[in-house]
Amino acid sequence: MSGSLHDVKNSIWMRTVVIAVGLLVVGVLAYGVMAGGIGSMMHQDWDDANEEYEAAKNAADLALEEFKFAESRWENNGSQEEGALYEEYLESKAASDEATQVADDAHHHQVDAHLSYLTWSTAGKTIMVMFIVYAAFYGVAGFFNSIKPDEEEHHGDDHEEHHGSASPIMMAGGILFFMMGFPGFVTTCKAWLGLDYDADLSGFALSGFGTILLIMGIGNWWNEDLKGHPEQVATSHPFEGQDIRKAGMWIFLISEMMVFASFFSSYLRMRTGWCTQWAVDAGKCSDVDTTTASDLLRGDIMTLLPGAINTFALIISSYTIVLALKTAKNVNWEPSKNALLAKLFPSRKKAVRNYLLITIALGSLFIVLKLVEWSHLIAEGFTIDSQAGSIFYVATGAHGLHVFIGLLVMLFMVFKADTVGYDENNGRGIEYFGLYWHFVDLAWVAIFPAFYLY
Amino acid sequence: MSEEKYTGLIAGLFQKMADMIGKDVYYVNFLILMFFTLFEVAAVFFDTIPGTDIVITRGAVWAVLIIVGIIKGYGIAAFFMHLKGDPFIYTRTALFPVLFVVLMIWGIGLSNPDGIDGLPSWCTPNWDYSYVTE
Repeated sequence: MSGSLHDVKNSIWMRTVVIAVGLLVVGVLAYGVMAGGIGSMMHQDWDDANEEYEAAKNAADLALEEFKFAESRWENNGSQEEGALYEEYLESKAASDEATQVADDAHHHQVDAHLSYLTWSTAGKTIMVMFIVYAAFYGVAGFFNSIKPDEEEHHGDDHEEHHGSASPIMMAGGILFFMMGFPGFVTTCKAWLGLDYDADLSGFALSGFGTILLIMGIGNWWNEDLKGHPEQVATSHPFEGQDIRKAGMWIFLISEMMVFASFFSSYLRMRTGWCTQWAVDAGKCSDVDTTTASDLLRGDIMTLLPGAINTFALIISSYTIVLALKTAKNVNWEPSKNALLAKLFPSRKKAVRNYLLITIALGSLFIVLKLVEWSHLIAEGFTIDSQAGSIFYVATGAHGLHVFIGLLVMLFMVFKADTVGYDENNGRGIEYFGLYWHFVDLAWVAIFPAFYLY
Repeated sequence: MSEEKYTGLIAGLFQKMADMIGKDVYYVNFLILMFFTLFEVAAVFFDTIPGTDIVITRGAVWAVLIIVGIIKGYGIAAFFMHLKGDPFIYTRTALFPVLFVVLMIWGIGLSNPDGIDGLPSWCTPNWDYSYVTE
């Protein structure tokens, strides 16, 4: 919502439907290339590595049996360190050691091949699902807005009174129905995936209805925001004279702080009761009874890399959203003298849009790497059915959900930046969304050391 | 959002660094966030300080993580979220839940009766020692 009004024809929203088709194509292509193509090759490598490992393991077992047989024969003959039996004992021992080493190497290769397959497969699937959701939001909300009749034109009057919006009610109702039907949605999906579940179609339908209602509510909100209306100002203490949306965003962030504080206090309560590798290293206890995600992640640069890249991605995305805001508010903005930057950011309007696009790309990278990392942890047996797994997946999952919701909001902001455009009058929208995005970054500043490094 | 020059002990330091390199405070804040992220990852990753035999203890790493977290949190809240420069009511609003957050972490987070001892008594409220000895 902005402090200026724009006469925008609803037909402009048909662009989002075209973009949605493009997003679907990109998502399917990414799945085809990453999960279907490279993932299949990686799966073949994994199958080969499995066979190699099985063969090496059998050879190692056989060599061990032969060694034990040779050892028992040598021991039964007095364990003399000379003679044919002793030679046979030494040879079989060397052969067994070598076979065990080969089996160990094959096992490492098998694990590496499995993780490589999971990386490509999970990345492809995640990108496809993300782009389907992006396309659903753009396509459904855009189509819904494009068929709406146009309202009367504004005549340069920026003092029009703000009218109430039905969007929050629609969105809240959508979430209500979605959550009511969600258990049925999950069991139906599991049934369709061939698992041993009975499909609950009524729950699935209720959840689907909720989703459509939610998207329509969001679409309605987008439509209202695109046209803009005067900024409402608080008239009473303590926010007197401040923009209501900004005050509201901060109140919302207070509630978010409490949500993440509850995760942290639960984690701390559990963590103080565990004897982890960290506690053993610190001399607090002697026998490890709990393996945390950080135990599996922080020991090797390759396992820590996704979390570290994600940290940098969020920090960079925080900076790009600040740059988008700065550019929108800068009436004296000029293209860079650097040729590459001038191509990337040719005009103020396009610069804002492209900074937002970069932010979306970095946020999407965050989600992809997070799920790749989860797939690796699950493959190593760190699942949600343990205390350590439960708090890790719930806390980092809640954070990831916040990132994803931010990405959906940014989809609209990119559309607005590309059509109406952001300037010094309506740049507040970026500032207020930026508060949310920076909060997500702030939460990660606490989650990353607590769950990945400690 | 304020475009004025930042003053004060820490914010002023950020501003001075920005003036020195001819960029704005956002850029300096971005660089500081990147540097301290590298620093905390390195603190966990290395067993000794590179080039020396000085062992990095778990206690030292823990202290680094807390201090770096505070610095990064300040940078994001003060500059990216514009609390420095915006009316003070927003800082008060942001600090309001901190009381509850501290109470939750103190009252719930550090109150595990199975907790590894070594924490001072003032930060282990409601410990049921009879439960531990049963």
